Amino acid sequence: MKVVSVQPEVNMELCQGCKTCQMVCPVFAIKVQKIDKKIHVDIDYQKCVGCWNCEQRCPDHAIEMVPCEPFELRADISQFDYSEIESLCRKAHFHPKQVVCYCTASRAEELAAAVLGGAKSPDAVVRATGIGAGCGIECNQSIMRFLGAAGIQYERPKQSWQWYGQTATAWDISPEIKENNPVFRFDEDRQLLDRIVDASVEPEPLDRR
Amino acid sequence: MYPDPIAPMEPRESQYGVEPQYVQKRAAQLKGMTSIALRDLIPDFPPIIYPNNEGEGIVRENTEAALSGIDFSKIKPGHTVNILASHHGFTLLGGKPYAEMLRTIKDVVERETQAKEVRLRAGLGMRFRETEEYIKAHGLDEYFKGKALGIAPIDAGIPIETKLGTLYGLRKAYDADVIIHAHNSDVREVHFHRHVDRAVKPFGMSYARCETRSTYHMNLGPRAANFVARSIFDSDFVQSKYGFSVFMIMSPVGVVSVDADNDLYALSERVAVGGLKYYGKIINLLGGIDEAIVVLDFPCPVPYVFAAGVIYANMVCANLDTFDLDNPLPPYTWYTETFYDDHGQRLIPEIPPVNPAIKMVVHNYAWTGYPATFFAEQTPTIMVGREQAEHFNRDPMNLNYMKHAVLAEDLNGAMEFAYNTTKTDKVIIFDGATGGVNVSPSLADHLKKVAPALNEKVDTTLMPKWLEQRNLNVELLENVA
Repeated sequence: MKVVSVQPEVNMELCQGCKTCQMVCPVFAIKVQKIDKKIHVDIDYQKCVGCWNCEQRCPDHAIEMVPCEPFELRADISQFDYSEIESLCRKAHFHPKQVVCYCTASRAEELAAAVLGGAKSPDAVVRATGIGAGCGIECNQSIMRFLGAAGIQYERPKQSWQWYGQTATAWDISPEIKENNPVFRFDEDRQLLDRIVDASVEPEPLDRR
Repeated sequence: MYPDPIAPMEPRESQYGVEPQYVQKRAAQLKGMTSIALRDLIPDFPPIIYPNNEGEGIVRENTEAALSGIDFSKIKPGHTVNILASHHGFTLLGGKPYAEMLRTIKDVVERETQAKEVRLRAGLGMRFRETEEYIKAHGLDEYFKGKALGIAPIDAGIPIETKLGTLYGLRKAYDADVIIHAHNSDVREVHFHRHVDRAVKPFGMSYARCETRSTYHMNLGPRAANFVARSIFDSDFVQSKYGFSVFMIMSPVGVVSVDADNDLYALSERVAVGGLKYYGKIINLLGGIDEAIVVLDFPCPVPYVFAAGVIYANMVCANLDTFDLDNPLPPYTWYTETFYDDHGQRLIPEIPPVNPAIKMVVHNYAWTGYPATFFAEQTPTIMVGREQAEHFNRDPMNLNYMKHAVLAEDLNGAMEFAYNTTKTDKVIIFDGATGGVNVSPSLADHLKKVAPALNEKVDTTLMPKWLEQRNLNVELLENVA
């Protein structure tokens, strides 16, 4: 779950129309156009997830993050039979209670709920959960692994940098790589990850209910 | 008689930390604090060239000397050259020695080749403007004639075909005919890299897109992840551009030398052996601390604040030998962090706890821009100052940090609370003190008492195992100072 409490504001006197903000926005909320030789920056605040990417990469320092009325991004796991959620998590090689985004502390079960709820691309997952709206780096493959496990095909955005592609996991390493590079302990690490994936989902402790 | 504390690293103006004016008191100024020289604890640290009384000139001399053995023939007249750097180097000893090494590489390459353009491309962690700040602070933009650039993992990517399949580098890192890898040997994130292919790591991190970095931290496992960097470096694409590597060789007491090689793996072996020798003992010694209050007081995110020449994350993991590859999972890595459920319970029993000797953390000064909630969840934490707490509440990576920390108005109040609740008077301050470590007298006494036996354990028991696990020849130990 992420609470969005800031959104970008563009200083048009500084903006040079380079489109970097448009390229790095994880949810395609920004559109930069030149109309009649004048730069226009349109921000869809219904989509914006307050990730700061645009502010951080603007080469002209033309964007400032300003407070907004806070709102939550959260996929509701109670909308689904938990066995469906668990099944998709295990297929993506995650434990349902495993953290998939360090910044929002979101769990795999929430990512599964977003995909089961109809998210068909990484930006839709980000909008549904807030996952990917923190550092914008480390959860990248978690999102793609869930979409892949659900059999969802999606295109890489053309001329844009939001995402490139799904990469290898511990379950894809060839015997040749393992044999030639024993120092990396591929099999031992995969066994560790398998033990995590296969661990049971513990009931909520009594004192937390 | 206990010596005075060593001057801590000054707070730095940055969008990732509170304004220096809000750092009202440094922990080294607390009544009764002392310091202990690292060489008093570990006598066989090597001689250093920096810090010194003459400045960075010696770094230039060492870089020139190291580059004298380099084959520059890959750089042809008219070529463009990217010197690839990383933010880490700028966090060492204030950043001046690393900046001087980068300037010298540029000068030597221009002198020895007819390269058309030599640029600086500096990678970063998760603070997308951090290297821009360093470039500006050290005047590198002017030195590189406007061709110095911070590169971030969400910038334009370039697919790289590797043994692991397609991975992704940063287009701006590779948009030259030849690349030069300019890094440092500080052990730093041993919890992540486990000192395997240490010198190669930036190819999977600083110079890589978020897809690749996520592969490292999410997809392969805590030790196997280090194959990501190797597979990128070994790719035909990177090999077609790779020229040579230059490393600032570090020890916990300062800069030892500058090393350079066309063969990165040969350099990486030297870096590995030096790292085990120089850092193995100090990290092992941190593991000998039985209880302590930790004060964070340095201009870097929580896990990266420095004491005794190493980072706080090393202390967090010091209850386990993270150099020992038989230990699958250090107490803190991004794999470990994911393996706690939403009630704080470990998903499997063998997840090692964070260092139980850390009784409380007083967060006097440390930056945002790194997901640090795990640290506040695992160890009682007192944040000093409302401004800093608010700074964390605004950071998209730390929206939950203050949910697990309590707030103190000032450092004195925080320390009083920490003393009263932990019942220990042992204090270690992560404030970047150079050549020694600022501690309470009780911890100074404790460290002096336990150091000899722990040092001997490294020499006789641990070092042979560490070397064998990495296929490193023990004779290489003779070649490092």
